[in-house]
Amino acid sequence: MLALIKREIQDHLVYFIAALASSAALIALLSTAAFHFERPGGDLFIGLTIPLIVILVIVFSAMGVTQMYLDRNRRISAFLSTLPVTRSRILTAKIITGVLAILIVLLPVTIAAVALRHLLLPSIPVFANLITGFVTTTFLMLFACYCLGLLTGWTASKITPTFGALGLNLILFSLIIVKGFGPEIRLLLVLVIAACLIRTWHKFTSTSL
Amino acid sequence: MFLSLSLFLASLWCKSILAGIMPLDDGTVSLTPSGLLPDERENDPNIAFQSTVGAHIIRPEASPALGIANHLGNRIFESRHVRIWYFSLPGEDSSWLYLDKSSGQINCRWTDVQRMPDGTSTRKTVQLYIGPEGVSEIPDRKLGRFTSIIEDMSETHLLYDRDLRRFFRLDLRKRTITKGPQLLKDDLHKPADIGILAKNRTILDLYWQPPAMKKSQDDEGRVSYPPPPLIREGYSTYQPDRYVLVLDESGRIDLLDTETLEFAGTAGYLPAPQTLFHSKERVTPDDLLAYRVIPVALKEDHKYRGMIAAAVSREGTALTLAVFDEKGVLINSRQTMGKSSGDYRDVPSSSTFFFGAPWAPVMTIGKFALENLHPPILSLASYFTASTFEAGSGHRALFLLPNSFIGMNGRDARQSFLEKLLSAFLLMGPSIILALWLNWRVGKDAALVGLSRKARRWWMLGTIAFGLAAYITYRLSRPKVTLVTCANCGHPRRPDMDKCHRCASQWHVPDLTPPPWRVLDSAREN
Amino acid sequence: MNENVIQVENLVKYYDGRCVLDGIDFAVPRGCIYGLLGRNGAGKTTIIRILLGLEPATRGRTLLLETDSASLPAKTRGRIGCVAEGHNLIQNYKVGRLIKLCKDLSLQWNDESFNHLIQTFRLPTDRRVRDLSMGMRAQLNLSLAMAIDPELLILDDPTLGLDTVARRQFLELAIEIIQKQGRTILFCSHILSDVERIADRIGILAAGKLVVDCPLEQLKERVKKLRVIFPEAAPANLYLTEIVNRQVQGREMVITVANWNKQKQTILDTFKPSSCTEVPMSLEDIFIECTRPSAEPGQVA
Repeated sequence: MLALIKREIQDHLVYFIAALASSAALIALLSTAAFHFERPGGDLFIGLTIPLIVILVIVFSAMGVTQMYLDRNRRISAFLSTLPVTRSRILTAKIITGVLAILIVLLPVTIAAVALRHLLLPSIPVFANLITGFVTTTFLMLFACYCLGLLTGWTASKITPTFGALGLNLILFSLIIVKGFGPEIRLLLVLVIAACLIRTWHKFTSTSL
Repeated sequence: MFLSLSLFLASLWCKSILAGIMPLDDGTVSLTPSGLLPDERENDPNIAFQSTVGAHIIRPEASPALGIANHLGNRIFESRHVRIWYFSLPGEDSSWLYLDKSSGQINCRWTDVQRMPDGTSTRKTVQLYIGPEGVSEIPDRKLGRFTSIIEDMSETHLLYDRDLRRFFRLDLRKRTITKGPQLLKDDLHKPADIGILAKNRTILDLYWQPPAMKKSQDDEGRVSYPPPPLIREGYSTYQPDRYVLVLDESGRIDLLDTETLEFAGTAGYLPAPQTLFHSKERVTPDDLLAYRVIPVALKEDHKYRGMIAAAVSREGTALTLAVFDEKGVLINSRQTMGKSSGDYRDVPSSSTFFFGAPWAPVMTIGKFALENLHPPILSLASYFTASTFEAGSGHRALFLLPNSFIGMNGRDARQSFLEKLLSAFLLMGPSIILALWLNWRVGKDAALVGLSRKARRWWMLGTIAFGLAAYITYRLSRPKVTLVTCANCGHPRRPDMDKCHRCASQWHVPDLTPPPWRVLDSAREN
Repeated sequence: MNENVIQVENLVKYYDGRCVLDGIDFAVPRGCIYGLLGRNGAGKTTIIRILLGLEPATRGRTLLLETDSASLPAKTRGRIGCVAEGHNLIQNYKVGRLIKLCKDLSLQWNDESFNHLIQTFRLPTDRRVRDLSMGMRAQLNLSLAMAIDPELLILDDPTLGLDTVARRQFLELAIEIIQKQGRTILFCSHILSDVERIADRIGILAAGKLVVDCPLEQLKERVKKLRVIFPEAAPANLYLTEIVNRQVQGREMVITVANWNKQKQTILDTFKPSSCTEVPMSLEDIFIECTRPSAEPGQVA
């Protein structure tokens, strides 16, 4: 499994680099916003995180699409299946890689947010809950978009994964506007993730390679 | 879910357009004179305009009720849901007042700044912990626990604990907490809010204008205005003599004596806006998208004179304004009205919202059509559960639609249950027709594809119940097999089944003509 | 332990409504070298892909090392070496990286044997797979398949693209494997001389059916090509069954018969032919006879 994960990371290194860069950018924005919040224009930095998160949504969806599209069209899984590797393991390795990329973005940001909270804010419970809620929902949203990418990427066509995934992701992202960051959206996202992964698993394990 | 989300966004777009084209006047209501001032004040010859109370729907599309706005709004400081009633962070002089759920005590901190005679100042940080049994500078279990409280953290600092069934008055300067008498278990009073009674303030504007005085001009041509009557309007600068308003879960508004912490009579009730489908006479706080209540007192004696209340209906299409006197008797009330398109009669704004303005009927039909693409079973469930949802949550509902036409019909207080149900089915007519048609298509395709009878039955039932969503799911998950013509019956059959699912014949592949001979292993031949 | 390493039962495969395999049954016993033959498009690669779990069967069952092909666990896959048609390798990888990947994923790896092969074939490890010639890719594929010391080796046209020398080297490798106890090979090839050299059993696919499935020696015994000269015109009907092919020219008839036996000889003798000589057939000849479309117009009296 480690060899498969390593292979996926090496093949999609550009996404990990993008994840690191996004993480750094988010931390910079958050820190600047936190230290300049009471100055005029300080909340602009908070506002800038929103387009960055939208970009992240598109990037992770693209990662899922790329993983499956390249696999299908370069017949990578067809080759790997001749080795002592099952299709389930190949897919699991892809998913773990996606999760790792998302964690590379979110974990440092979370640590930075918690540190800033301890530095600048009193220990009032609501701040911890705010950070936890936001981070959990963002993780689930990014993972859901990634899973949508996996689902739509297994095709020979270029149009379906590009526009199909983009459209679905934008609709999914609008769920945050409709439902906020509370437990309802988390439940819905978990259901979307489960449905996407089950369908992807079924498609990947039963299709001809 | 994607279908529901897409329908929601499309429906929201229709509603936003409806809100945008709604005439401003249709969302505004006013009463002149207000009826709260004594007659001699109101009829003073120096008055140019009498006092007015007015209310206005700021955002009929109820964007603050959308998930993200609602979520963030409930978590900002001084929000009731977050239990932080005050928060200020200017460096060392940070101060706050919040309920710590883990200890069940109120945590309070501020910095006392004292000026010395020599011009310097001393700073002393005060930290207090407050429980039902007392106030202390250190956390102490003996102070007790608050469990489920509602609060008015204005100057009066009043609390009500639902589990303890008592009111409390907190005095931070004196560091005391006063308990009121405990309400009986079966007491009719069920407080829901104290003091500043408002919900979704950004949706509704409520104001009170004192009488405007006439200007006078002296011989030299200088204009002056006589001083206005000494009238202090309520709300942020309200200083009651001893009463504060308490909103009950039933929608009734009571007066609470701040000295004795007992109820001192009724102040009024939340007025019921007139909706498209006739609503109940009395409404509860959960039935309203927004409300605001302003008590009124005169500056000269701070005596409670009465209150003005405005309420916006669930759908955000109707507004009612009501004025109550000091005894809680309704003086006057008015609904928002619009002009009907044909004969320019006055009709309730909940009707003109959907049909009044140009293009409104088109958007209404669009909204209706989108609601009919929703799964019929969820539409039916929306009908039955329409009243159970809190008003704001209906604006971010994806699956059950309490603000749909069917939901509104479910809340119709005028008709009997049977009449309501029949009209609900009429409203769901396009949805039912669509579901039946899709059901026919699914049944036909499932038979063609060779699904078992049981599977076909379940899919057909599912399509009737869930309509378009089930049909899309079926199309995405149906077996993707290329059918082959059966040599026996001539109909398409599935190659992955041993027998034809129509005529049960075995396989015969006429397009392949293998030779009649075989050279097989002698063991196999045997 | 089951004697059969590969078992195919009533295998049917349809591609977009077109039947390719129509009820294939065969078994490959342990230690056997099975040559699966057929014309282009007969379904050989399809059978191999279904066996390896790369393609789902429409109907029927396939077992590989006593496990259903559709759900082969990783451990079982580790015992199978495979050289697929077209040498499906990850094209954009460097050879070195590909080797490392296969090594990391394999359950067992014979470094010594692999390095020996790499040196023998002189494969560059710093070049990308797509930059290798077809032959070099075949050699790399073979080396990777052999390095895991497979219990079962499945080869789909493995010598495609190899020069004569490399082909000979491969055959010698295959023989080396055969000599290891318990190793089984299933392979398809169009170079029938190679198949004839090493195969124990032969299977021939035609029109979606396995028309031949027997040991090679038995095949040569049972399929006979006879040149028969009759005193007068050749009879229209010889009342012989299992005629594979028949060509008539005047008094001469060349007839290929399957499952030749004494009974058929007796039937032929009743027509009192002037002469009846057997035409020796190689495997290639048998294959051509068996897969030639039957009843060519103008050649049967």
